Amino acid sequence: MKRYDLLTPEGTKDLLFEDCAVRRSLEEKLSRIFKSMGYCEIVTPGLEFFDIFNLNSRYFPQESMYKLVDNKGRILVVRPDSTLPIARVAATRLKDARLPLRLFYRQNVYRNKPAMRGRSDEIHQMGIELIGSDSKRADLEVLTGAIEVLSSLENDSFRFELGDIGYFRKLVERLAIDKETKEEIRSLIEVKNYPALNDLLDSIGSNEITSALKQLPRLFGGEEVFEKAERLFEGGKDIIANLRGIYDSLTALGYNGKITIDLGLVNKLDYYTGVVIKGYLEGYGDAVLSGGRYNKLLAEFGYDVPATGFAVNVDAAAKVMKQTNSYPAPVPDVIVFGEDGYEIKAVEHAAELRKDGLIAELSVFDTYEETLDYAKEKHIGRIVCVGENIK
Amino acid sequence: MEKVNRPLRIALTKGRLEKDTVGLLEKIGYDCAAVRDKGRRLILPVGDTIEVVLAKAADVITYVENGVCDMGVVGKDTIMEMNGKFFEIADLGFGKCRFALAGKKGTDFYSGYNVKTIATKYPNVSRSFFEKKGMDVDIVKIEGSVELAPLLGLADAIVDIVETGTTLKENGLEVFEDISPISARLIVNMVSLKMRQQEIESLIKLIEENLN
Repeated sequence: MKRYDLLTPEGTKDLLFEDCAVRRSLEEKLSRIFKSMGYCEIVTPGLEFFDIFNLNSRYFPQESMYKLVDNKGRILVVRPDSTLPIARVAATRLKDARLPLRLFYRQNVYRNKPAMRGRSDEIHQMGIELIGSDSKRADLEVLTGAIEVLSSLENDSFRFELGDIGYFRKLVERLAIDKETKEEIRSLIEVKNYPALNDLLDSIGSNEITSALKQLPRLFGGEEVFEKAERLFEGGKDIIANLRGIYDSLTALGYNGKITIDLGLVNKLDYYTGVVIKGYLEGYGDAVLSGGRYNKLLAEFGYDVPATGFAVNVDAAAKVMKQTNSYPAPVPDVIVFGEDGYEIKAVEHAAELRKDGLIAELSVFDTYEETLDYAKEKHIGRIVCVGENIK
Repeated sequence: MEKVNRPLRIALTKGRLEKDTVGLLEKIGYDCAAVRDKGRRLILPVGDTIEVVLAKAADVITYVENGVCDMGVVGKDTIMEMNGKFFEIADLGFGKCRFALAGKKGTDFYSGYNVKTIATKYPNVSRSFFEKKGMDVDIVKIEGSVELAPLLGLADAIVDIVETGTTLKENGLEVFEDISPISARLIVNMVSLKMRQQEIESLIKLIEENLN
């Protein structure tokens, strides 16, 4: 039998030195932002019951989840997402807490992905959830938070994208078609498959709604999108007006040119009900930040309150940050060698040096020569030899 | 993945789709001399603004999905088999053929209650086709000439690409059922389309105007 004792499972990896340093520095940076906005950290279990991810609306396909069985025969999953567990906590232990709740998290999620496509199954995510308010102020808080996160990544190329899934839902609910066809339309809009979408909509009929749906995947870009969208569909006016308001407020904050709109953001796994957001960085082929408003999700856990939030793919952001900055693992400032009989004196001396803020390593070698050799290879600039005297 | 300001990178499926795409780019007015005279090089300039990458079909999808290529030209057959996250913007109209279920001429594939065996290079396409029919089938992955499998008695039928049907006919096989039409598609990375919207949209517009 083949042994796997020297490997990590597919889709996972060890993070060494620089990779670890950049992740931690990002974590600290984002935690600082979230905490300064009044968000409190929450940690949820790595294992959850399958049922939490198998609600009436099945946001996660079961083949995408790692599953196991507990000692009572119940199905568990390795957490594929943090928002649903947080919704569970809000609906149970935090049910009587004063709203709004401001929660943030930093934890891994696990998704069983097709092998060898260059994507990890283990994703380190950080994000916030603002639960219990449907106000414009709540939206603006989360959106500006997301922009602050993106602009803190030391990468000027970031792009922040806004959409509203309500526009699509309003359109499609006016068509007298079955659920499967609606789903087909949605999936074609999601991948901007113009030709197939046109064929499908032509077969349904020619009216204001179908011609608006045909245009939907093309409704992305700058401010000009709003005018097009307004003309296209009377019933979507409120949504567009709201989105324009948000857009104007955000550009007024000085993010002109960084913010774009895509009304064709209609992803399947989304529990989103209104405004949706994506963040992109040049150098990574997928969104590094995504989120939006999810007003129906908590009701599925028996607590009918609105919510909004976003998640950052920390690994993706780290990957991009590493391209523009270096995060070397720290080199010790000094190595302390204790001669025979002076080992404990060396320990004391190293402790003294550390008090001054230096990184002081102790030599484990028996001779000064070996220590010298080691220090040279590790680029440690200073050696202290502790004996009768300290030199 | 390197930083920005590089030319727009398009991955082409080596072979016929590559030739048809180069023809299309030339019709638009791009200088494709480097691609025509490529030798063994795999990354080639087309004018100052485009770079062409030559790859196998499935790799075109992988490169575009991961964003190291902004766009790609690949057959719908590969898209259906691989799936993936990208925009499927245009049907280029060339590379036309179809997926079909085929088997020995004169046999009734759907008769009897035994579980049928299907030989194919496209296990995912086959699985989803029979899933929709609610049929339980055994699927055998074949790498080369799939037509052999029913002739040798390994499979009851094959799911494969059919262009003219000549190969089937010469081997005593016939199409039982068409599964779906296939043609070359223009795919775009989800982030590239947003980050380089103007460049990509104007190229797509030129392409759409020059399609036959």
